[in-house]
Amino acid sequence: MALPLPPGLTHAEVAFLAEMELVTVVPRQRLDSIDLLGGKTPVLRPPHRADLPLWLALLLKKQRRANILPPAWLHPASLSDIIHAETKLNPEAFSEPPPRPSRADPSRPGIARRQHGSGGGDDGDDDDDDGVYSGGVTLSAPFRPSCTADAPAGYLPYHWLEVAEQLLAHAGDDVAAALGGGGGGSGGTATSLSSSSSVLGEVRGLLRDLVEVRAAKLRSSTAALGSFGGGVMSLRGVGAMELAESRGFVLGVVDGVRKLGASVETARREAEEEGMDEGGDGESDEEMGF
Amino acid sequence: MSYYDIDAILTDAEKIPCTFQLDVPDLGYLDNTPTQPLKAGTKVNLPLWLAEMLAIANTGDPEGRSFVTFDLPPALGNDVIQALKADPRAVPLRDQSPHFYGLATHMMDLVSEDKLPEVVRNTFVTRAAEVALHARKLGGVGSRGRTAAEEGSNLGFGGAGEEFLRGLDEWERKLFRKAHEGAKSGKEWMENIKKH
Repeated sequence: MALPLPPGLTHAEVAFLAEMELVTVVPRQRLDSIDLLGGKTPVLRPPHRADLPLWLALLLKKQRRANILPPAWLHPASLSDIIHAETKLNPEAFSEPPPRPSRADPSRPGIARRQHGSGGGDDGDDDDDDGVYSGGVTLSAPFRPSCTADAPAGYLPYHWLEVAEQLLAHAGDDVAAALGGGGGGSGGTATSLSSSSSVLGEVRGLLRDLVEVRAAKLRSSTAALGSFGGGVMSLRGVGAMELAESRGFVLGVVDGVRKLGASVETARREAEEEGMDEGGDGESDEEMGF
Repeated sequence: MSYYDIDAILTDAEKIPCTFQLDVPDLGYLDNTPTQPLKAGTKVNLPLWLAEMLAIANTGDPEGRSFVTFDLPPALGNDVIQALKADPRAVPLRDQSPHFYGLATHMMDLVSEDKLPEVVRNTFVTRAAEVALHARKLGGVGSRGRTAAEEGSNLGFGGAGEEFLRGLDEWERKLFRKAHEGAKSGKEWMENIKKH
């Protein structure tokens, strides 16, 4: 009767999907373009940065063929900004997902325009339909450069937790080198080693805080279902891994509320139908009166 | 609710207080008097499924009375509802009925009570948040042995937390299990990252 798997994606599946995210690498060896199912990878020439899928970047990192540049949002300053926004500025909602990538329009100085838009620069300022471009094409996770080095700081992409954890686990030295003081990438001396580990510790701690803050928010967001009439919670900005973790619980709560409200709902509907009938009669009576 | 849903079946077996409106022959054993007919006005606790059937069954009585009328079971009585209004988290629902919410939905279908749906719904949602908190705090992979302090929990294993978890009804237990599964597999995944 029941499938052994819960509805939705499991953590492993989410982590697998997150490996499609693009990250920026600095190659240390030449590598020709590889023709993959998802398209060709860029040619790697040592001093030039390139955007690769996370899985390939991690593979090259393990073979010491490339260094990974951590995305801007993984910087401690960006993370603490987000935590500040989540706890102080807007303790009710989750922080916004990253905006659509935009590029300055050379013909009109001072005006930026969304990339990949099929024209119509006037839709550039509305952020509400993020991901839906004017051509009607929806660009979702792997096709938005949300985890690369030129991603905007201060926004969490959809796969933030997975990418951050994988980068910290497998490319911790690169992350520390890029974030800690910028230049000290050698990592040879004892001092830079200790400072790099402290940066890593800071990032880990901030991520931990962020996970806790947002998990608490997700839990308490169900409280809005307590009164009749309310009951829509906005999950905008929630990451894939958080969804995987809380899906069972949130679905359980919503289902429970639905069952508890079923009798009231039917009663209300019946009353409404009666009311409509009466209302209709009343109106017609009035018309007759007039 | 599926036909084979064991919780639905057990919910149907919950007793509710009924009062017979008619004399019924050969039902005396319900009131421990097997030889006598069951008198009108006798109060008997009947399982929900039977009470429901008797309440809606056509008796052919000229005055239109049904076999029984029933009241809200003590689990949904005034005391409990008042306590739930005051603080939903402080009431061990399991002591009232292991199938509290199932019973409540059933009774709300049968009896129209103004306050009841609102209180029950508020109770469910408030307690659900608490359940999720406990599910997340209560250790993950193999951390049962660790103390609460190591887990960073401020609830503690003994005391209030455990007391609360013992008072969960079946719906809430299911919810706890789901929330705990989620938190647990999240933790497992995080510990597995480093191995690959």
